[in-house]
Amino acid sequence: MIRVENLWKKFGRFDALRGLSFDVPDGSAFALIGANGAGKTTTIKVLMNILEPTRGNATLLGVDSRKISPRELAQVGYVSENQDMPSRLTVEEYVAYLRPFYPTWDRELEASIARQLRLPLERKIGGLSHGMRMKMALMCALPYRPKVLVLDEPFSGLDPLLRDEFMEGLLEQAGEMTILISSHELGEIDGVATHVAFLDEGKLLFQESMSDLTGRFREVHVTLEVEAARPTPPPKEWMHIRTIGNVLTFVDTRFDERGLTERVLSRIEGVRGIDAQPMALRAIFTTLARAARDGAV
Amino acid sequence: MVWHIFKKDWKLAWVFVLVVSVVHWIDSAIIYKLGRFDEDPMLGMLADAVPMLGFFGSMFLIGAIVHLDSIPGVRQDWLVRPISRWDLVVEKFVFVVLMVNGPIFAEVLVQGLANKFSLRLSLAAAMWQITFLLFAFTLPLFGFASVTRNMTQAFIFGCSCTFIMVGFQTIAGYLNGRAHGTLEAISWSGIGWVGETARFALSVVAATVILGLQYFRRKTVFARGMVLLFGVALLATQFIPWKAAFAIEQKLSPRPGTATSVVFAFDPKLEKFRSPSGLRASSDQGRRYNFGEHTSVFLPLQVAGTHHDAFLLTDLVEVRLIGRGGKVAFHGRGESLELADEAPDSLTYQEIQVPTSIYRDIKDEAVRAELNYSLTLFGLRESYSIPALGGDERMPGFGWCETKMNESQTAVELRCMQPGKGPTCATLFLENEATGQRNPARMSCHGDYSPYSGWYFGDNMAHFGANIPFRDASGLAKYPVDGPQLPNSRVVIRVYRPEDQFARSLVIQQIKLGDWEAQ
Repeated sequence: MIRVENLWKKFGRFDALRGLSFDVPDGSAFALIGANGAGKTTTIKVLMNILEPTRGNATLLGVDSRKISPRELAQVGYVSENQDMPSRLTVEEYVAYLRPFYPTWDRELEASIARQLRLPLERKIGGLSHGMRMKMALMCALPYRPKVLVLDEPFSGLDPLLRDEFMEGLLEQAGEMTILISSHELGEIDGVATHVAFLDEGKLLFQESMSDLTGRFREVHVTLEVEAARPTPPPKEWMHIRTIGNVLTFVDTRFDERGLTERVLSRIEGVRGIDAQPMALRAIFTTLARAARDGAV
Repeated sequence: MVWHIFKKDWKLAWVFVLVVSVVHWIDSAIIYKLGRFDEDPMLGMLADAVPMLGFFGSMFLIGAIVHLDSIPGVRQDWLVRPISRWDLVVEKFVFVVLMVNGPIFAEVLVQGLANKFSLRLSLAAAMWQITFLLFAFTLPLFGFASVTRNMTQAFIFGCSCTFIMVGFQTIAGYLNGRAHGTLEAISWSGIGWVGETARFALSVVAATVILGLQYFRRKTVFARGMVLLFGVALLATQFIPWKAAFAIEQKLSPRPGTATSVVFAFDPKLEKFRSPSGLRASSDQGRRYNFGEHTSVFLPLQVAGTHHDAFLLTDLVEVRLIGRGGKVAFHGRGESLELADEAPDSLTYQEIQVPTSIYRDIKDEAVRAELNYSLTLFGLRESYSIPALGGDERMPGFGWCETKMNESQTAVELRCMQPGKGPTCATLFLENEATGQRNPARMSCHGDYSPYSGWYFGDNMAHFGANIPFRDASGLAKYPVDGPQLPNSRVVIRVYRPEDQFARSLVIQQIKLGDWEAQ
């Protein structure tokens, strides 16, 4: 559905994207994560043919993004935190305007989404709060059952209640659609994303399925008989190594239960106990971000 | 989907459309109320201000319509919707034309009909007006608006373009002054329409290129470059060489060959020109392109070969004074000549304003003078007459005219209106019907040979007229037809139309300018 190959985007002298490549599997909920300025929004705008790439290709529904036509756009939903819609039209008027452009628009689905999101249809778009506008954007992206749904920082500025309403609205309709979602807030995609790609300064640091990612990351606490010291040299797969008293803590990025004990015992003497804890996505993200900053990834 | 997008734009812009339309209609009502004599000063002031308001209102309306689905930027919702770009550009064009030009069309049509002109004339004037506006105003602004995202951007970019334009014009004016008016010869001349038509053609090309780039490729930076490039090209049209433009005009002459027998000859046997006032003669016309101190020389000419009831007007007199060794001492323009004498051979003086510094150097030197004339021969087409006082007549082919005495009771005021273009040249005089006595004819001429009519403001109604004197307030002159005779007199209007455009060259092998300075 979505493929990005060696994508470059320059703004003047600044490289916003630097040879970015990734694949979004069909039917997945693919999260693009990264700090602000990592290149997530730029990638999405290139995919949607809002921006033209400097080099490389991005394909959406098998079509080069530069050549996307109304035929492809009729199968793509797009929700962005900063989408300009005609502020002097009411929600109802704008939805009515959009309907004829989509051959697959389902009015019953539209009504059900509007009810679920509790949207004031008679209110002017300019008079909606940010949260309401995001919900409206979602409502305008779902009733035609798009094959691909692209969400660019959809939760930015939403309070938890609105976020939950938004997510409920989204997940209820997700079905078989492929979702590409960008966020710098990992908590937001936890439980939604099936795959994740981590961007930093326009480059892809990794792309992985969520289950593989959470499966291979563990925070390991090694309790020693004596005061702990950093192993030299530390194994490449160990990150964020620190010591507190006789406890050595690190993040194992290639976790497997048997291998960990062997690797710890082969490097460290006087081990009294090894405790490996699953990590939250946020903690994994922070570890990787720190490693990227330090040039360890 | 064009109609569907159209309805959306109407919902968003109808108030603005209505306001601008009302401004145009108010303008129309003011013009109607003013009548032909512009007697109400307050309405007169409004008649000056409201059209400007309508002009700027229309300008902003075009911007507002285009910006409803603006091209530059990355946040617009329509960019991610399955909206055909072709549908969008067609819709914008149709909407702009209908909402901006439509009310103006209605204004001109209603103005014509309200003044009891025929539907055919009124409709033709309305069509010409919106066609003119389409090429001169709507299309260029549509293209311009498409490279800006909102009104703020449009204003800033517009100011930058205006700044460049003013700079260009200043430099062009300076260079034209240095070239003694030969560089921008077609501007403000009867064939100025050739440059204007070139600008229309460029506007169409520019709008097509820019709109294509924007709506189908979204290349805003490149398109903005194109705006500047085409802008400069549009400005450069004022430098279209005179010969090329006049050749086009000659091709369009209504009766080519009519002026074959017209000859110009230098006649040194005639005496020096004497200024009637006793002051050194000068012409205001030359001041537009001649800066600094000048000395006028008047070359006596014999013009022969014009047929009876003909009228000769110079469109351009290009003068070269060549000194010793073939060096061109002066290259500039001679003053315009109007030869309305109905006699077959006419005597006249060709005024040449020579910069005094050059004149001092060559005045006692024998120079070769080359005068290249571009001329138009006018033929008498129609004669009309209207009572000198209280006349109110519709003269087919001329217009609806009224006459009255002016406030100081020295002249008859003739005021006329006509949908579309007014007459180019006419002579007017008072004639006593009973005695057959006539006052000297007054000539009223404005050289404009454009085959179309239309202007940026107003109702495309030609308002024209003249004051025909019958009494000299100082008492020095006595008119054959004076005040007491006016009730029995009529204003006779003779309308001349261009028949043939042609060129003549006059070479004077040796002449001393000092011999022909005005006395």
